[in-house]
Amino acid sequence: MKKIISMILVGGKGTRLGDMTKYKAKPAISFGGKYRLIDFTLSNLSHSNIDVCGIVTQYEPMEMMNYIGNGASWDLDYTDGGIQFLTPYLKKEDIEWQKGTGHAIKQFFDFVENYQSDYVLILPGDHIYKMDYNKMINAMEEDDSDITIASTRLVQDDLHRFGVIELDESNYITRFLEKPNNPTTDLVSMGIYIFKKDVLKELLFSNTDLPDFGRDIIPEALKQNKKILSYEFKGYWRDVGTIQSLYNANMDMLDNPGFLGLNSSKNLPIFSRSLNLVPHIVLYAGLVQNSVIADGCKINGQVKHSSIAYQVDIKSHSVIKDCVVFSKVQIGEFVHIENAIINEGVIIPKNYESINSKCVLITQENLYEMGEIRE
Amino acid sequence: MKWVKFVNNLFVIVDAINQGSFSHLTRHRIPGAMPFGAKYRLIDFTLSNCKNSKVFNVGIFPYGNYRSLSDQIGSGSRWDLNRRRDGVFLLPPKVIVNTIDHEISFQRMYEHLEYFKRSTQEYALITPANIVMNVNYNDLLEKYLDAEVDLATFLTDDYRLLKIYIIKKDLLLDYITKYDQIQFRNLSDVFDFSSSIKKTSIRLENPSFLIESSQDFFHANMQLLMEEVRDKIFDSERPIYSKETMSAPTRYGEHAIVKNSIIASGAVIEGEVINSIVGRKAHVKKNAKVLHSILLNHSNIGENSVVEYSILDKETIVIDDAKVHGTIDQLFVSEKKQIVTSEKRLTILQVSAEVEPYMKTGGLADVVGGNAEAYSKLGRKSLVIMPLYPKIYEKYQLMLKHEIDQTITFGGEDFKASLYSLTHQNTVYYFIETYQFFERDKIYGHDDDDFRFGFFSLAVIAFLKNLESYPNIIHIHDWHSALIPMLLKEKNIDIKTLLTIHNIEYQGKFTTEVLEKLNIKTKYNFIRPSMLNFLEAGIHLADKISTVSETYKEELSYEYYSKNLVESINKRARDFYGILNGVRDDVGPKNNLEIAKKYDLVSVFLAKPKNKKDLQKRLSLTENKNAFIIGMVTRIVEQKGFDIIIPALKEVLKDQNIQFVILGTGNEMYLKQLRDLEKQFPQQVSTNLTYNATNPDYIYAGADLFLMPSRVEPCGLGQMIALKYGTIPLVRQTGGLNDTIDHYDLSGKRGNGFKFYNLDSRDLIFQLNYAYSVFNEHKSDWNQIIINAMNSKFTIKDSAIKYIELYEMMV
Repeated sequence: MKKIISMILVGGKGTRLGDMTKYKAKPAISFGGKYRLIDFTLSNLSHSNIDVCGIVTQYEPMEMMNYIGNGASWDLDYTDGGIQFLTPYLKKEDIEWQKGTGHAIKQFFDFVENYQSDYVLILPGDHIYKMDYNKMINAMEEDDSDITIASTRLVQDDLHRFGVIELDESNYITRFLEKPNNPTTDLVSMGIYIFKKDVLKELLFSNTDLPDFGRDIIPEALKQNKKILSYEFKGYWRDVGTIQSLYNANMDMLDNPGFLGLNSSKNLPIFSRSLNLVPHIVLYAGLVQNSVIADGCKINGQVKHSSIAYQVDIKSHSVIKDCVVFSKVQIGEFVHIENAIINEGVIIPKNYESINSKCVLITQENLYEMGEIRE
Repeated sequence: MKWVKFVNNLFVIVDAINQGSFSHLTRHRIPGAMPFGAKYRLIDFTLSNCKNSKVFNVGIFPYGNYRSLSDQIGSGSRWDLNRRRDGVFLLPPKVIVNTIDHEISFQRMYEHLEYFKRSTQEYALITPANIVMNVNYNDLLEKYLDAEVDLATFLTDDYRLLKIYIIKKDLLLDYITKYDQIQFRNLSDVFDFSSSIKKTSIRLENPSFLIESSQDFFHANMQLLMEEVRDKIFDSERPIYSKETMSAPTRYGEHAIVKNSIIASGAVIEGEVINSIVGRKAHVKKNAKVLHSILLNHSNIGENSVVEYSILDKETIVIDDAKVHGTIDQLFVSEKKQIVTSEKRLTILQVSAEVEPYMKTGGLADVVGGNAEAYSKLGRKSLVIMPLYPKIYEKYQLMLKHEIDQTITFGGEDFKASLYSLTHQNTVYYFIETYQFFERDKIYGHDDDDFRFGFFSLAVIAFLKNLESYPNIIHIHDWHSALIPMLLKEKNIDIKTLLTIHNIEYQGKFTTEVLEKLNIKTKYNFIRPSMLNFLEAGIHLADKISTVSETYKEELSYEYYSKNLVESINKRARDFYGILNGVRDDVGPKNNLEIAKKYDLVSVFLAKPKNKKDLQKRLSLTENKNAFIIGMVTRIVEQKGFDIIIPALKEVLKDQNIQFVILGTGNEMYLKQLRDLEKQFPQQVSTNLTYNATNPDYIYAGADLFLMPSRVEPCGLGQMIALKYGTIPLVRQTGGLNDTIDHYDLSGKRGNGFKFYNLDSRDLIFQLNYAYSVFNEHKSDWNQIIINAMNSKFTIKDSAIKYIELYEMMV
């Protein structure tokens, strides 16, 4: 018997992230030099002492499974529970691909039943935030609601990417609009749900097919007059669904030295699988300012206001400004790049130049569309 | 390479016993657990080599405080050493034996005999834990097998000893099981002395570093900044694994400037870092400069500060605007969690019963006088205070300046005390005159010594405000002034105190009567009814304590050495330091007109025979230029090892080519035995059983070997003087002797003397014969030892710098 178990949905393909997600699921995307998006959710679970975590995979799970392993890097390697991968498998008739988030949970409901828990915490695996889920659970218990949804207020103009929530005066959700064209409030769902297990079971296994939480299950629950509480989260939170938003979140990290308390030992750390790399070195011609650099890099060029992931090699006389560089990128001499995300493993030739006014994604394939070799 | 032959045919013994000489870097850890190269620990290299060589049976022999090591190793899974069969074994000492070993002994291995018996591999590789290299051990095994020897040792590319050995397991087991019957204590003994086995030394071409001192540590770290070294140490084919730790990526601030530096993750760089190694989560703040330095984890460099040629231990805090300047020869080394301020204006007051050149009965006076001068030269305010004895007054009457008089109440009576001063080369010497106590010829050995020195301590405190500047450190020496910390506490005066123990034999044991006279109100639990031990009181109440060598400090944690004070000493282990004394620069053969031919390193081989001839002539020994002259200048007492010296000499003097000269006086029993020896070998022995009257320099200059097999030797001066004269010390491995003399090894050509451990005349004979054989049969080696000896430097300045480091840490 556990009080709560968690399930992380890491199946998203993240098509709006272009070639970044060509060979990997969205939660495996690199962030801030040494993290992957999934690190935030796993670290939150770890700090919230939630010790059962089912990871529901579908799209390109290999890299994800490799990365997470048994979860020891996040202290989630428990003998009773811990990390378990829930991958699509062949049922009697056919391989069942998941048609939506709700569908994914339904498919592995055996896993939930197995632990006989009171609550089920459902988490997306690709958001950047630091949150103690216990506070949300407490709020829910105090209120004895059936469902609790974590919500946050956004000031940005792309509210139509999110599920927008309307509340009554006691924070109960009265209306839930998934990706509306004309949002009515600035309060959006973070895609984090806690269900009473029985309520979840009832909804998932009702006669109507409800494949997706945002689109189908929550509206249905509202229809059935379930008590749905909104738990408002006030900290930093980003769902980096697009190239621009991923870029912006990286820049947020660079511009705020206290970003999620990453570099302060007084805060709970965000864990990440460390790759046993040598520490990075800055050589004589190197200059690094306003940036973060991960292990294994060799920097002999100029890096300004950029986030550099593992094992990046930057040769002399090159300038990298306002960029997000993924791991294993090699940058030759006399290269000048501004305002770009450089995809994993891209090899940038000598004298390459790509100066952009708006963030672009540079991959091996589109290298010469995005820039050119200077004469 | 035949693959099968090398698969799992090697097991590795990691010798984590070596303590090296790291000053305070290893106070909280053993060298193997020291951080290295920004994110590693030294042991990572050895364990990774095991993993990369597919060695799965590893035995680690730790010394003392091995928590940090076992924390680092865990189950060994990081290095694939968490196996069903074999794996990693931490083999702690079972018996706390009283040895200061620098190498794992067979006796220590015997405690874990079962481990050796159970290991199924055919060959054993023994390696220190404090080594940085990246090597496939099977390549070493192949080299060993190709050489067709029983024992191989490995050297760095510049021929330094790595202390790595490969030996057949059966042969090793044989040494281990017979540890109490053989004269070899460890594999280096076997390598140096055994004639019955085949052995060789093999040079390795890849960069490799044995880290035994702060200098080695600094050097090896700096080598990582060279690309060709870095690429070989961090060979991507054979990665170095370390315990997984989590920290954020390194963050660089807006004005950061980093050149040629290795930076670990989690660090925050807002200032300037050049040619340095920065550990995890270190923070270099705005406008701070870090040059040629090593910052260990969590060190914090304040704004506008400068750190140069320094090693800053974990969690060191350099405050804003501080300037920390080491030099390449004299690194600044901080202690864990130390708060480093700028070179604060130190005013050091040394309190001693005797100070050279004003009054001297022993080595204590030399140390106090020498250091006092050195502090002034190093720019610190140096003050010394001592009683005014009549002899001083007679000699320095005209130079003494009368400062002030005070009336001091002691045991209800009023005494008049006068303060005199004398300034010499910026050092101010103060003298306290109170005729009732100090107007005597002999400075110690009176029935009322407790009152005399109790009163002296009280008077020192009474005069503090009359000194040229108010001290922030009071350095007290031996028991005479050891009540000062108690008096300071009683009077609520906040000045930090350092007590140096020059010899634990002298403790000042009296009744508690003096405490009443001093009006001490506090009841201390270490004072037994009616028994007061001055030194013990000092040990308990001084802020820090020190003694005169690292090894003697270690020895004092055993009852054999520290006797009744063992508990008090061990209670203060955290605050106990060992700092070696130095020898005056003007001592030596260079400008010495007292010896037949003055000399230095260039002319030693020409001058030494002339001085030898002069010595033989003066003392009417057979004048033979090939004779091997053993010299001694010493007090002739048991402490100096005379109980083993005399039987050993009787044996070795059978060879007429060996001569023995001694200058000194002491215990009548030994004096008689020495006279008998002279009668027995009149052509070979000369005893000069007086002291002081004669200048001993001609012995230092003329002898070949300087014998000093002391039973106990806190620091020792004779061996350091002998080194300067190129006269090779043969010493027992104890106290300062152990710290100043390195045993000469024929393969590495390093070492400045000869050293043995067991206080046993047979071992001494063995070692004397060995020295003689090198002298006789390996002339080039002997000359090398002379060069090494004369190149050894134990200066007062080095000693004073260490004390200043300690003072600066205290204030």
